[in-house]
Amino acid sequence: MTDNHNVDQTLAALGATTAEQVVSNFAQVRARFDAEAGANSSDVAQWNAFLVAWTGRKSGVLTKITDNWLKPATPELKRAVGQELNQLKAHIDGVVKEKQAAIEAAAEQAAAARDQIDLSLPGIEHTIGSRHLIRQTYDELLRIFGAIGFSVVEGPEIETPYYNFEALNIPEHHPARDNMDTFYIEGARNGDLLRTHTSPMQIRTMEKEKPPVRIVVPGKVYRRDNPDATHGYMFHQIEGLAVDTDITFCDFKGTVDYFARAFLGPKTKTRLRPSYFPFTEPSAEVDATCHVCGGSGCRVCKQTGWIELFGAGMVNPAVYGFVNYDPERLSGFAFGMGVDRLAMMKYGVTEVPLLFQNDVRFLRQF
Amino acid sequence: MKIVYNELREFVDIAAPAAEVASKLSLAGVAIEGVEETAAGPVLDAEVTANRPDCLGHLGIAREVAAIYKKSLKPLHPKLKESAETAVSATRVDIEANDLCGRFTARVIKGVKVQPSPDWLRQRLEAIGEKSINNVVDVTNYVMFELGHALHAFDFDKIAEKRLVVRRAKQGEKIKTLDGAERTLTKDMCVVADGARAVGIGGIMGGAESEIGFGTKNVLLECAWFDPISVRRTSKALGLRTEASYRFERGADPEMAEFASRRAAELIQQVAGGEVLAGVVDVYPARHAEKSIELSRQELLRVMGADVPDRDIEDILSALGFHPVRIDDLRGSNGSITAVWQCKQVSWRSDVTRGIDLIEEVARHYGYDKFPLRLPAAKVPARRLPHAVALDRVIERVIALGYREIVEIPIVDTERDAIFRAEGVTPAVIGNPLAEDASVMRSSGTVSMIRALEWNLNHGQRDVRLFEVGKRYELRDGEPVETRVLTLGATGLAQEKTIHEAASEYAFANLKGDLDRIGEIAGGFEWMGGGPSWLAPSRAARVSIERGTDGPELQHAHHVGVAGQLARKIAEQLKLRQNVFVAELALEPLLKGVEDASAAKRFAPLPRYPAVERDFSLVLDDGTSFDDVSETIEQLGILELHSIEAADLFRGGQVPQGKFSLMIRVTFQSSQATFTDAQLNGFSARIVAALEKNLGATLRAS
Repeated sequence: MTDNHNVDQTLAALGATTAEQVVSNFAQVRARFDAEAGANSSDVAQWNAFLVAWTGRKSGVLTKITDNWLKPATPELKRAVGQELNQLKAHIDGVVKEKQAAIEAAAEQAAAARDQIDLSLPGIEHTIGSRHLIRQTYDELLRIFGAIGFSVVEGPEIETPYYNFEALNIPEHHPARDNMDTFYIEGARNGDLLRTHTSPMQIRTMEKEKPPVRIVVPGKVYRRDNPDATHGYMFHQIEGLAVDTDITFCDFKGTVDYFARAFLGPKTKTRLRPSYFPFTEPSAEVDATCHVCGGSGCRVCKQTGWIELFGAGMVNPAVYGFVNYDPERLSGFAFGMGVDRLAMMKYGVTEVPLLFQNDVRFLRQF
Repeated sequence: MKIVYNELREFVDIAAPAAEVASKLSLAGVAIEGVEETAAGPVLDAEVTANRPDCLGHLGIAREVAAIYKKSLKPLHPKLKESAETAVSATRVDIEANDLCGRFTARVIKGVKVQPSPDWLRQRLEAIGEKSINNVVDVTNYVMFELGHALHAFDFDKIAEKRLVVRRAKQGEKIKTLDGAERTLTKDMCVVADGARAVGIGGIMGGAESEIGFGTKNVLLECAWFDPISVRRTSKALGLRTEASYRFERGADPEMAEFASRRAAELIQQVAGGEVLAGVVDVYPARHAEKSIELSRQELLRVMGADVPDRDIEDILSALGFHPVRIDDLRGSNGSITAVWQCKQVSWRSDVTRGIDLIEEVARHYGYDKFPLRLPAAKVPARRLPHAVALDRVIERVIALGYREIVEIPIVDTERDAIFRAEGVTPAVIGNPLAEDASVMRSSGTVSMIRALEWNLNHGQRDVRLFEVGKRYELRDGEPVETRVLTLGATGLAQEKTIHEAASEYAFANLKGDLDRIGEIAGGFEWMGGGPSWLAPSRAARVSIERGTDGPELQHAHHVGVAGQLARKIAEQLKLRQNVFVAELALEPLLKGVEDASAAKRFAPLPRYPAVERDFSLVLDDGTSFDDVSETIEQLGILELHSIEAADLFRGGQVPQGKFSLMIRVTFQSSQATFTDAQLNGFSARIVAALEKNLGATLRAS
């Protein structure tokens, strides 16, 4: 550490009587400072000790020079000593500032290296739940149809034969009932059954409301079929109905096409194939270009380029007879989609049972 | 219905490849599911809709093809070499049940040689998946698939008294049908009988005793028209579905009966020889007068929204046999808006009786693709379901709390359902279930929730939190009632061990905390001990919503549901080896609570002065509840009392037997000024005194 030997003595004692000798003494001190500053700047503790030795108020070198060299200096030398001392202070200040910054930066760097967290480790995770794929699909469908003015209504799953069949122009012993094997409820007063489609709400809504009617009906439906990979005895539908004085087949086509583009993507095209449902006429099966291959043909669409979306059509005037609507003034369209099928198609789910096993490994994916 | 392409070409001149015809048929309404190569050439597999019995024969499909390709249908002219003897002199037919049988024709062919069919006939039948039997029977089948009308051939020598009568069966009457089964009939069924007994079930299947065999010499050929509903009812009741019943129940063409008979007689004579007796016995009580239908352009425009040119309308309707004729005043003028066409109602299309039916015919052949796309103008705002916003808020919460939504099939096992059924509930039982374990509409959401938890546990998923928004079902006085419920279920770890946190089991406190987070958006839940028998008695609760400000009639708590841990004996019975927690809440009162609470929300000014907390470590007798403690403090009426929380609870150690230690944290908040020590000490002294006096609490030195 600093050898204080010469600054403990007065200049006179050191034999310095001329300005030149004063300068030379200061030069020695300065050289010593530079040497020590270089030697002590790599370690924070050493550096702090070094600073105290030189700039400490009580017995630092600068204080000692002031006390031992400046104060007792002869009037002739006082000016030279003062000047040299100021220069030395300025020099020390400059060097200290510079070294100090470097030392602090190094210390910070070292600390940062020590504290660096492992970004690949997980944070504290809060478990968040999820919506079922079917519900998400419903939400999407309701948004799509809500945007073009379709209101949402719901109806009972345990229905009367009248609403499920008769009022939809499906009398008893109609062959169309072949595709709708039905579960019946024991001991129900009205021969109640589990609705085979969401269409009964067409009737219930028109009974209650005057046109314009524009509704979608989400809900569970049931058919007494033995379940397999592609069919269950319960599935989800969304029914649509629009009736007014000015609804035409073109509106029907436009709505269906809007839906397909909104649900399957803007490049989707639709086509209608004539079909038959007792409660619509003309009736159609709605096909969309395959969402996987875009219509060029692939395994999903069985090389046809088309996938069947749902059945639909213009409301059969016979249905208006059941709800006291004037068939000569009113017209409309209706559709019924299988939501499970749409969801499976869109997300590539391969088997119906997966939807309702409710395995968390499945639920987590959506 | 399988269509032999080459047979189709006998009715209509087309050169197009089968695949092209198939695709055009599909776009015109006869869905072709596939095209298959056979020894008889390409065969099209047509999925014929229930309204088109005419397409259950090659002729009907050919008519569609003719309309598509704008060709005319080649007529079929059966040529018979008839003998001098007449059919009328050989047999007679009486229809006693003319509501069940609208027409019955009989022809007699004598001296046939029954033998295997010639190759062409056998091939045609095999191509469409039919087995060849013998030449006479094969002809009746061939003509059925050709013309779409079912026929039946009897061994004439086995017909007693050489006459037939069409009547209702006698109750319990028996007949052995062609398939060898003995059938017992009821009195609403239609039979074809001879002088002695039933020899056939009308429109469904002939009897075995009068069957054509290799020994048959003389044939009586039946070609009739049976009532669709009667055939369908009988066929369902007997569980006997045949190609014949399939056609009759969809509405066969009564006019076709005699023609199909003539065509079959021609072919029988061709492949089995014999002489056809002159004429036909034809009893036709259901003969209809010819009717007409009108199609107007105005109606077409009103329904379709875009026009179809006159020429196309007329071509399409003509090709389909409707004979359109303009009858409006401007019939010379092409494209007139007032154009009206009168069309013939045709016997083979019982589904075409109204203007709209003709519009459909025109539209499907003109091409659905030619109508432009439009969106209808929305005239009224779209409504969401009632309470949809409140339900969204509840579901957001539940998901934020970590529960995953499930969707369950609500048809469940009866025994299982009974476990979780509330007292006095009559379940909605399915009268014709597919399986025993799916035979009742669930009486609770819980039964499904337990199933889902069980499934996950059985598939190695041990830490599960689930919820379902669904319905429970019941009958009340024979009327179905469907109630929407929110069901929560959880088991396993609430917190898995991580580098940051220790593991913790899902406990009742998790369920309570989560439910209270849901309850707080519905105005807050009230908890009461006790619950249904399927919950563990010490971990069971009823939850209700306090209804405060809604008017006197609603000032009682509204019961919402139950929550707790599944009872041990039920968990054991269901082989659930982990603690399982469930809550089932009725959705309607909950959503009402959310709506009320949301409507009642008002801003409260933020306090300007600091709140102060004071902790009290109490030693209390077992059985004293936290509620007892907070009520005691609240009753002091300290206006500055802000909240009371339970901060720590333990038993044992220095706490004597029969007592427990509870640390409560009381927060004071003033809107007037900063508290002075004297004030706070005053509060504390009153609180301690009240707790000592009312609950025998002692303050623990801390």
